[in-house]
Amino acid sequence: MRRFLDRHWYAYAMVLPVVVVIAVLVLYPLAQGVYFTFTNINEANIANPVLDRAASYVGVGFRNYLKVLSGDSSYGAFWSTLLRTLVWTFGCVFCHYTVGLGLAMLLNRQVRGRALYRVLLIVPWAVPAFISAFAWKYMFNAQFGIVNQVLRAVGLPGPVWLGQSDLALLAVVIVNVWLGVPFMMVALLGGLQSIPADLYEAAEMDGATPWQRFRHVTLPGLRSVSSTVVLLGIIWTFNMFPVIYLVTGQNPNTRILVTYAFERFFAGASRDYAIACTYGVLILSVLLVFATVYRRALRKQGEVW
Amino acid sequence: MAEVAYVNASRIFSGNPPVRAVDQLQLDVADGEFLVLVGPSGSGKSTALRMLAGLEDVDEGAIEIGGKDVTNVPPKGRDIAMVFQSYALYPHMTVAENMGFALKLRGVAKAQIKEQVAEAAKMLDLTKYLDRKPKALSGGQRQRVAMGRAIVREPSVFLMDEPLSNLDAKLRVETRANIAALQQRLGTTTIYVTHDQVEAMTMGHRVAVLKDGLLQQCDTPRALYDHPANAFVAGFIGSPAMNLKTVPLTAEGAKLDGIVVPLSRAALDKASGESLGEVTFGIRPEALALVSSEEQGMNMTVELVEELGADALVHGAVKIGEGTERFVVRVDGRTPPTLGQQVKVAVRDTTEIHLFHPESGDRLEA
Repeated sequence: MRRFLDRHWYAYAMVLPVVVVIAVLVLYPLAQGVYFTFTNINEANIANPVLDRAASYVGVGFRNYLKVLSGDSSYGAFWSTLLRTLVWTFGCVFCHYTVGLGLAMLLNRQVRGRALYRVLLIVPWAVPAFISAFAWKYMFNAQFGIVNQVLRAVGLPGPVWLGQSDLALLAVVIVNVWLGVPFMMVALLGGLQSIPADLYEAAEMDGATPWQRFRHVTLPGLRSVSSTVVLLGIIWTFNMFPVIYLVTGQNPNTRILVTYAFERFFAGASRDYAIACTYGVLILSVLLVFATVYRRALRKQGEVW
Repeated sequence: MAEVAYVNASRIFSGNPPVRAVDQLQLDVADGEFLVLVGPSGSGKSTALRMLAGLEDVDEGAIEIGGKDVTNVPPKGRDIAMVFQSYALYPHMTVAENMGFALKLRGVAKAQIKEQVAEAAKMLDLTKYLDRKPKALSGGQRQRVAMGRAIVREPSVFLMDEPLSNLDAKLRVETRANIAALQQRLGTTTIYVTHDQVEAMTMGHRVAVLKDGLLQQCDTPRALYDHPANAFVAGFIGSPAMNLKTVPLTAEGAKLDGIVVPLSRAALDKASGESLGEVTFGIRPEALALVSSEEQGMNMTVELVEELGADALVHGAVKIGEGTERFVVRVDGRTPPTLGQQVKVAVRDTTEIHLFHPESGDRLEA
């Protein structure tokens, strides 16, 4: 043990600050959040130094989980919200991936002004999300927004985009796709450039059509990049709060798990911290299960990472 | 099976000035022939091959396979298979899938693909590895898979672009023989690109030497060695390279370090016809020999001795005209001279002397 410390103290000393920071910033809040899910903590019973009031919340066991998982609409209708979250997540990531791949393929060849296109296509990424969200909110405005102006100009009806209907969900999906495509494009462009050109030539010699070259050379060549960015995209989109909240506010038609947790925490008559935390823990669990299944599926296909 | 012809085919790369990577290439390859394209880097040999493959455009002239003009036919319509320098194996497919891919694309029945792949694998000793991915293979095995992928299709022409350059020296020699034997057995017209003149000489039925996009000479290895058409071919073919020196000419022959090496009448006539005072004199290291000090010969100071075992290469300086020139002599490996030693060198046989025009480099005498 002594010798071990003598030899490796330096490494441990270097790692220590990170361990401390992660413990304070991640592990402690996480543990506290999990603890709150077993209490009835809310604004009325939390310790309040201003009112000189001591904490009076009590443990309630698994009752919060039972309430949430019952799917009761007074607790956010968990199952239908989860379903909407999944629709939102997979809709967004699917569009991110396909549009990003399309653009990456267009940029992955000699075109005049390639550098310019590249910069322009990265712009959505560079603009702070809340600015984009507000910009889109005005673009979707039923009366004055450019979207409806264009629709009307070509003779189509201009619907109320951000109202109490599923159109609002479509609208936020569009905004989020616009925001998320640049990341996919850049990542996939990197992946495309790492595919050796002679593989395409070999496939051409083997008699592959352009579509077959895409299917048998491009897609397999992108697999390791794709699997990583798709996983990241799913996790990010699953928890994408700002776009939905800033574009549609507390519209129940665009409510996903993470926005409901926020609503429960900050809005409403009594800020129900316990239920918000329960949502947080459930989101974490869903993502953990998903990531595990995803990795296992990839490993089965012979992917190593 | 098919013959191949380049009909004044050129490939011009845009630029300023435009580069003629392959310039008016005129070459006929017979059915079943093994033709090697050889040349230094940038000589256009790979471009010429890629033009035949259809991976590179033909800007002038035409390319014919089996008597049909295929200049504007895409690669898939040419019935050719290519082995790439990097092998270009599909990394996500097993060896069997790699080899059977072209057949699969063509819609051949699964059972037949399996059979053809198994047959090719047997030929190349790959049967054990059919279920592996390329990543799990050694360099030599990958090379064989690349060969297998070409063979399985039974194309009318094989194209090989430096297929051995990623192998170590020993494996390269072994594989060289295997490829030549395989080609012999299959009897498929093969165009093989290499920068290694030893590969060219040992494998090709005929060898085409290219330089700067221009075909220098195309002939059997023996003919290239014995009758190089110009000074470039003379220097490129043969290892170590031929000694090529510019020497003054007299009425009887070439003047080297005081002695006059007699030359053939025909060559001398041609030189005097062009009133040349000098000539590029070429003699292979193996056509020179060390002689005793009493005999007539050039005096050479030994500067370097490379012992190869069977024989030794002696590099030394010989006075020619005003300056000195370095010559290489191949001598018996058992009794090489030592460094700094003065030796006498004589031409073994005057018929082994090659004379070239000092400016154009063309061969003087037929």
